[in-house]
Amino acid sequence: MKNRYIAAFEQAQVAGKDIPEFKAGDTLRLGVRIKEGDKTRVQKFEGVCISLRGEGTGKTFTVRKMGANNVGVERIFPLYSESLESIEVLKKGRVRRAKLYYLRDRRGKSARITELRK
Amino acid sequence: MEFIAEKIGMSRTVGATSVAVTLLKIKDMKVVEAAEGKALVAYNAGKGMNKAVEGQQKKYELSKEFNKFVTLDIANAQVGDLDLSTLAEGMKVKTTLKTKGRGFAGVIKRHNFAGGPAAHGSRFHRAPGSIGNCEFPGRVQKGRKMPGQYGNTNVTCQNSVVSFDAESNILVLKGSIPGANGTLARVKVIS
Repeated sequence: MKNRYIAAFEQAQVAGKDIPEFKAGDTLRLGVRIKEGDKTRVQKFEGVCISLRGEGTGKTFTVRKMGANNVGVERIFPLYSESLESIEVLKKGRVRRAKLYYLRDRRGKSARITELRK
Repeated sequence: MEFIAEKIGMSRTVGATSVAVTLLKIKDMKVVEAAEGKALVAYNAGKGMNKAVEGQQKKYELSKEFNKFVTLDIANAQVGDLDLSTLAEGMKVKTTLKTKGRGFAGVIKRHNFAGGPAAHGSRFHRAPGSIGNCEFPGRVQKGRKMPGQYGNTNVTCQNSVVSFDAESNILVLKGSIPGANGTLARVKVIS
């Protein structure tokens, strides 16, 4: 458990940030701010969230996608990062683990995640 | 202006640039005697109590929890609760506090010596090695790095202030400061 003063300090910074609820297995579409010289633009990054870790302001999540030539691409973002313009939850996945690192060893059909249906 | 504060721990900010920060809680302090530029200040530090402290508390009409006294550099102090407004305007502070004590430590931990290989029969692992020459000069040079007490010394460092919350008396500094959480620090506002 964190010290209450540290918790209050972090709470005050996180307050007002609108972050959708998601967990490992969900498919996300992120708007990532990219700075080129003095111009900034937003690039979309779409993939499966394979882990959420940490607490408070230090919380991060990992998104994995299959890039060109079937090369896996993973990016780690701080949840409250300024460089994230938007987080969109596209699909809720049905998974039985909190960390989906096993997806790194899977290719093709076996790397699929079934969608959660209510 | 000086203050007594307790190191609480570290965190980070969120924003365009995320900054590692250290949180300090400024202790409740009462000025009991004010002289030119200096003041005798009482604060709370644990449960330590003896007759000398009791006598001081009686003299200055303090409650039981103010059981430590210290002389701080405070300009224009007035008897009573200490004014913390200079902290809110402060840009940079010097903090002095005790580093973590590591006891009697060897040269690898204390002076970052490299040490020898662990295996292949080298027979030289964590020892300091040679400490000098031969008959000339016939003694060990002064300042030779050797094993000894490491830590538990006062260290001062400069940090810039990120924010100060007057309600909860939390001072937030950029970067790290020495010492374990819960250590009391002397905070001096320098600009």
